[in-house]
Amino acid sequence: MPGIDECLVEAMRLPGALGAAVVDWTSGLALGTVGEAPGGDHETTAAEAAELARLAAEHGAFAPEKGPDQEGQDPPVEDLIVSNRDTYHVLRFVATTFDSSVFLHLWLARADGNLALARIRLGEMAGRLVLG
Amino acid sequence: MTVVDTPPPRLPVRQTQTPAEPGVSPAAGPGVSPMLHRLAAERATGVLLREHGTLYLSDGQVTHAESAETPGLDVLLATGGALDAESWREAIARAGARRQVGRFLVDSGRVAEGALELCHVAALFDAAYFVLGPSGAPARFRYGAAHWLGPVRPVPVAALERESLRRRELLHRIWPAPATDTAPLIRADRAAEPPVPSRQEAVLDQVNGVRTAADISLALGRPAFHTLVDLRRLAAAGIVTTAAPQSLRAPQAPGAAGPAAADAAPEPPPPHHDPVSALLTQPSADPDVALLRRLRDALEAL
Repeated sequence: MPGIDECLVEAMRLPGALGAAVVDWTSGLALGTVGEAPGGDHETTAAEAAELARLAAEHGAFAPEKGPDQEGQDPPVEDLIVSNRDTYHVLRFVATTFDSSVFLHLWLARADGNLALARIRLGEMAGRLVLG
Repeated sequence: MTVVDTPPPRLPVRQTQTPAEPGVSPAAGPGVSPMLHRLAAERATGVLLREHGTLYLSDGQVTHAESAETPGLDVLLATGGALDAESWREAIARAGARRQVGRFLVDSGRVAEGALELCHVAALFDAAYFVLGPSGAPARFRYGAAHWLGPVRPVPVAALERESLRRRELLHRIWPAPATDTAPLIRADRAAEPPVPSRQEAVLDQVNGVRTAADISLALGRPAFHTLVDLRRLAAAGIVTTAAPQSLRAPQAPGAAGPAAADAAPEPPPPHHDPVSALLTQPSADPDVALLRRLRDALEAL
C-alpha cells in the first residue's frame, strides 16, 4: 500500500518525468513533491496548478451529464492536460472516501514523455493512493 | 443568453505598506511564534499549547495539530465512511498506549496509507492555521508529550508557518472582510442566488442564521480552512453575509444564537444606524443593490 512519497516516486519512473506533486486545490498546498518544478519552486507551481484545477472542477461546462444515481461527491473532472512547446502537465484528480480536494500533478518533458501512458498510469496511481 | 455563475472579480486591495518582502501582506501581520522557532531549532519533542489549539512536536518537526475550530482526523475520516467510530475505538485500545494508532490503522488494513497521509496532513495544516493565528494568551510547552496517533507525515515548522501566512493572504485576496470566518451566517437573498459550484453549495445548504464556519466544517466533515475559502467566495459574490447581531433583531429568541453569537462578539457590528446602510441591507433582488452592498463591505474592510 503506497503512501504519498511512494506514489510520487512511482510517477517519476514514467518516461520523461521531470517532477511531480500531490496538491490540495482548495488551499493550493503541496502535500508532497518530488523532482523539479517549473521555475524551481514547487510551492508556487502548486498554487498556480491548484487555481487551474479549481476552475476545471467548479465550472459546470466540464462536468459530465448528471445521472440519477450520482451523488456529486467525486471530482467532476478526471484529469487536465496542458501542453507547451517543451513540456506536458497532467493533473489527475483523486477521489477519496473522505472530504478532500486533491490532485496529482505530473510534469513531463515533451521529447521523452508519453502522454497517453502517463495519463493511464496517473489514474491507476490516484486509485491506489487512497484504496491501497 | 449569458448565465453569470462565477463570483465577481477580485476587488483591488490597497497596499498599506511597500511590498519589500514578497509574500508578506498587511493581512499576514505578526502571526508566527518565536517560541515555536526556538523549539524547532533545539529539535524539541513535546506539545505546544496555544490559545487556539495545540501543536505536537517530535524532534523539532510538527507531527500533529489540533484546534477547537477544526474537525479532527477522526471526524474527517468518519464523515465519509472511511473509518467508523468502532474502528477508531479498537485502534486506540490496541495501539494508543504505545502511540502507534496511525500505524495500526494502516497495518490492519482499515485505511490505506495514502488516504491516512492525505487526510492527516490536511488536518494538520488546517488546525495549525488556527493555532498559529493571532493570539492574546501566552503559549506553553510541555516537553516529552507525544500524541497517541504517532507520526504519520511530520512537517517542518518553517513550512507550516509559511503555509499559515500564505493561507491568511489567500483569504484576504478572495474577500478582505474576515467576518464570515467566525460569525453566524445567513443567505443574503435566497431568491436571487446564482448557481454555485457543488462544494460551495454544500456549504451554502448549511447556512441557517445560527451556524458559524466552524459548525459547518464539523457538519460536513471538511477541513475548516476549505469552508473559510468557500464562505469568502460566497461573501464576495454577495450570497452569504453575517447574521445581524441579536440585539438588533426582534428580541423574542434570546437563546437562538447561543454560543455562536459569543464567537461573533469581537466583530464590529455592521453599521445599521445610518439610513443609507439600512436601505442597502434591505433584501432585494436588484443586482445594483447587491453590488452596492458588496462595495460598501469592501470599503469598510480596507
